Amino acid sequence: MDITSDIHSQHISRQFNHELEELKTHLMAMGGLVEKQVQDAVNSLLDADSSLAERVVDNDRAVNDMQIKIDDECTRVLARRQPAASDLRLVLAVIRAASDLERIGDEASKIARNAIELIENDSGSRGFVEVRIISEHVRRMMRDSLTSFARFDTDLALQIVEEDQKVDSEYQSAMRSLMTFMMEDARSISPVLGIMWILRALERVGDHANNLAEYVVYLVKGLDIRHTNPDDLDEEVGDR
Amino acid sequence: MHHWQRSKRKSAGEGPWAWLAAGSVATSLALLALLLGLLAVRGLGHFWPADVALVTLDDGRQLAGRAVKEAPLPGREARERLYRDGNRDVDGDIWEWVALERIQDIAHPEDLVVLERRRWGEFIGRLVAIETASGERFSGDAAWPALKERLAVVEDGRRQIAQLREETIQPLVRRVEAGQASAEDRAALASAQSQVNARQAALPDDTLVLESVGGRSLRQPLTDVVRALQPNAMGPVDKLATWGQGVWRFLSEGPRAANTAGGVWPAIFGTVLMVVLMSIFVMPFGVLAAVYLNEVAHQGRLIRWVRIGVRNLAGVPSIVYGVFGLGVFVYGIGGHLDDWFFASRLPSPTFGTGGLLWASLTLALLTLPVVIVATEEGLARIPESQREGALALGATRTEMLWRVVLPMAMPAMLTGVILAVARAAGEVAPLMLVGVAKMAPQVPLDGEFPFLHLDRKFMHLGYHIFDAAFRSGDVQAAMPLIYATALLLVVVILVLNLTAIFLRHYLRGRHGTLPH
Amino acid sequence: MTVMQHTPSTSGALIDFSAHASSLEVRDFALRYGDKPALSNLTLRVPRHRVTAFIGPSGCGKSTLLRALNRLHDLNESVSREGSIHLEGQDIHAPEMMVAELRRRVGMVFQVPNPFPMSIYDNVAFGLRLQGRMPKRRVDDVVEWALRSAALWDEVKDRLRASAWSLSGGQQQRLVIARTLAVGPEVLLLDEPASALDPISSLKVEELIRNLKSTLTLVLVTHNMQQAARVSDYTAFLQDGELVEYGPTDTLFTNPRLARTENYITGRMA
Repeated sequence: MDITSDIHSQHISRQFNHELEELKTHLMAMGGLVEKQVQDAVNSLLDADSSLAERVVDNDRAVNDMQIKIDDECTRVLARRQPAASDLRLVLAVIRAASDLERIGDEASKIARNAIELIENDSGSRGFVEVRIISEHVRRMMRDSLTSFARFDTDLALQIVEEDQKVDSEYQSAMRSLMTFMMEDARSISPVLGIMWILRALERVGDHANNLAEYVVYLVKGLDIRHTNPDDLDEEVGDR
Repeated sequence: MHHWQRSKRKSAGEGPWAWLAAGSVATSLALLALLLGLLAVRGLGHFWPADVALVTLDDGRQLAGRAVKEAPLPGREARERLYRDGNRDVDGDIWEWVALERIQDIAHPEDLVVLERRRWGEFIGRLVAIETASGERFSGDAAWPALKERLAVVEDGRRQIAQLREETIQPLVRRVEAGQASAEDRAALASAQSQVNARQAALPDDTLVLESVGGRSLRQPLTDVVRALQPNAMGPVDKLATWGQGVWRFLSEGPRAANTAGGVWPAIFGTVLMVVLMSIFVMPFGVLAAVYLNEVAHQGRLIRWVRIGVRNLAGVPSIVYGVFGLGVFVYGIGGHLDDWFFASRLPSPTFGTGGLLWASLTLALLTLPVVIVATEEGLARIPESQREGALALGATRTEMLWRVVLPMAMPAMLTGVILAVARAAGEVAPLMLVGVAKMAPQVPLDGEFPFLHLDRKFMHLGYHIFDAAFRSGDVQAAMPLIYATALLLVVVILVLNLTAIFLRHYLRGRHGTLPH
Repeated sequence: MTVMQHTPSTSGALIDFSAHASSLEVRDFALRYGDKPALSNLTLRVPRHRVTAFIGPSGCGKSTLLRALNRLHDLNESVSREGSIHLEGQDIHAPEMMVAELRRRVGMVFQVPNPFPMSIYDNVAFGLRLQGRMPKRRVDDVVEWALRSAALWDEVKDRLRASAWSLSGGQQQRLVIARTLAVGPEVLLLDEPASALDPISSLKVEELIRNLKSTLTLVLVTHNMQQAARVSDYTAFLQDGELVEYGPTDTLFTNPRLARTENYITGRMA
């Protein structure tokens, strides 16, 4: 059966409701922070703001701390409540989502470090267009995945899976054009490589956002679609 | 200190109810102790060979006896004392009231003898001499040892005669009475009879020359003497031995002198046998009835009424059961049994008169409700899970009942029997109608086929008390025996109950208590 | 790729048990106490050599259903029933089915350990002795085998003559299981067998249940959902005398099909 976003506040034990709500709230807070990290990292590059990039690198520790906190809370709920069915799926989805968010945080700090290098070397704005386009996509994916998590919205989640395919193709074409730059101008190899690392990180962020969306489907429908062919998804999920 | 204060406050906090409740228990216990104490002192004291006082009055008259009680003299500031001085044949009376102010001297001379006799009660006085049939005469100091020696011979001969009577003559007599005696039996009877006569004749035909302290003399055949004592000459050890002997004779001998003297053995035996038979009759009936009510019957309105009826049966006065027993068992069933099986003996009844069987059955009927109620409660306490456990192993309902339910209800059944015994052993009223006898020296169990004689009348301690107290001429004289018999009745009931309680305890202890 | 998911079905009766045939089959079964319906329109199949758990709130009829499986309701005259129950294809209410025989084939263990007030040995031999006299040697063998099967032999082998009531609660429950096994049942019904036990004894009983399923079909009624989740292969959720959902335990406890089930197993207000 499909569950709705208010299902975790209907337990006879109000303490249990509260614990599960806390889990979701903390996950959303972590999501908000990570989303801002990604945005700041990209902006530091586009605005050539190295101090912002430094802050992003520093803030990664806060992201890691949040993941540990959420993991602790999940462990506690598992040990003390032995959750079943939708509750069990929520806890598992939160653990996995926190892990993916932490990895997104890592990617953000990777972007920030590459941005610092590019700014210090004053290597121009080649590739910035691609970065802006892909980062727009990826940020929307992140926002949507968090929203779908908050609302238990599987339709939105399925859109993210499709979106990820678009990001992948954008990434492929960006790679191709950046390769052309490098072949044309050997001096641009170093800065363009930096941009390529950033694009690569953004693409990874997209993959993680995609994972978040898959957890939403697992949470709501009890279906594990991680290794399902995206083309079959609508059919599979629609059945339920 | 602190702890003590707390516990004190706690008991005070329970308020007056706790005190009231504890007080009730204490009162009950005190009453019980008083009852047993009174019975023990008055009853057992009777067998103590107390010193005999030689009282000299102001007019020089002397009397020898034991003080029984004192009472104020009417209209004067003086008291008088009652002495039991025996010698009914000499004085016409065994009591003597003496005003205390008239007593000049009280002495305890060692030469006073107390003789227990088969007729006329006690003799208290002095032994002057003993004359044998062969003309020998022992007097003075030689008289007392000679008396002891001759008395031992008499007692021995008497015991042999009693044995002959009991073991040989009485069975033969009964057979003759029943018309089953062969010629051999008759010959045996005649020879036994002549043996008894011979022994009787062989008893030392001695005569005691006695003298009361009042100066009257008396010649007393030795064969009538049961016991001779010089209580004032006895030390405490001798007295204790004599006391023990007296108690033993009370327990083991038959009654004498219209139940006012002698022992109560037949009554003890009759009481116990009747109670045991009653238990044997009431157990299966009570248990089966309880099993039906609790396990078999459909629990509807009818069963509720039956249950109320059974409980109310327990409240029916016992004399009513006696009347029922007389009408149904004795005249009804007993009369018909006589018609069918013992017609040859009519008109003298066999089962058509009161007897052990009918008395036991009447009491079984009387105690049936108690056993049913106790067993039912025991059955109801067995957890349903035990029954289901047996059924789930493939037991039928009968197997479940026999193998699980009844063994578990055993302690409750024994509780029922304990209550039944307690009630039955004390009942006298119904027994007077259905088989108890004033005097039945033959116990209903002996070596003669069919060993247990259900048709015989029997003696009963309760009835014995009633008889001694209200039917004997001299209640004052019988009083100590009444106390002793009452004590014995209480002890017998106690022993019967304790036996059942220990049995119940054993059954409970064997597998622990119910887990719930 | 296919989804790693048991094929859902619309009725518990239609669950695919192709791997193992069913031992007990309940068909359109209904039961009422007097005028009060206790079970209605129940249809389910209990797979052979598996543990099937009945869960549900108090008064949902799960114990009633369990007791119906070996006709313990026969004692109660106010009980009436419809539909049928089949044991290995045989109608258990058929006239040729002796109820004592049925109960030997379908043993039952109750909530509160109920050893009889006899020795340990006599408890285990109780059911055997009901079947008539047999050589002592053989009784000894069966008693030992049953106690071993119930994982109790090592604890009691030196005191077989001791009272069964001297055992601890957990040992008593295993003794009761041994007693039932001694009769050689095909199906073992367990009515909250561990609810009166401490957690460790309870786990021992659960372990025993798991071991027994290689030779027996087990049906377990429990209030303890974690216990049902731990030991059972299939779980049936009953509510108000109806079968709500029946399926593999894995599915039922991670992703139940119906909201009523979900609410019950996650402790939500209906």
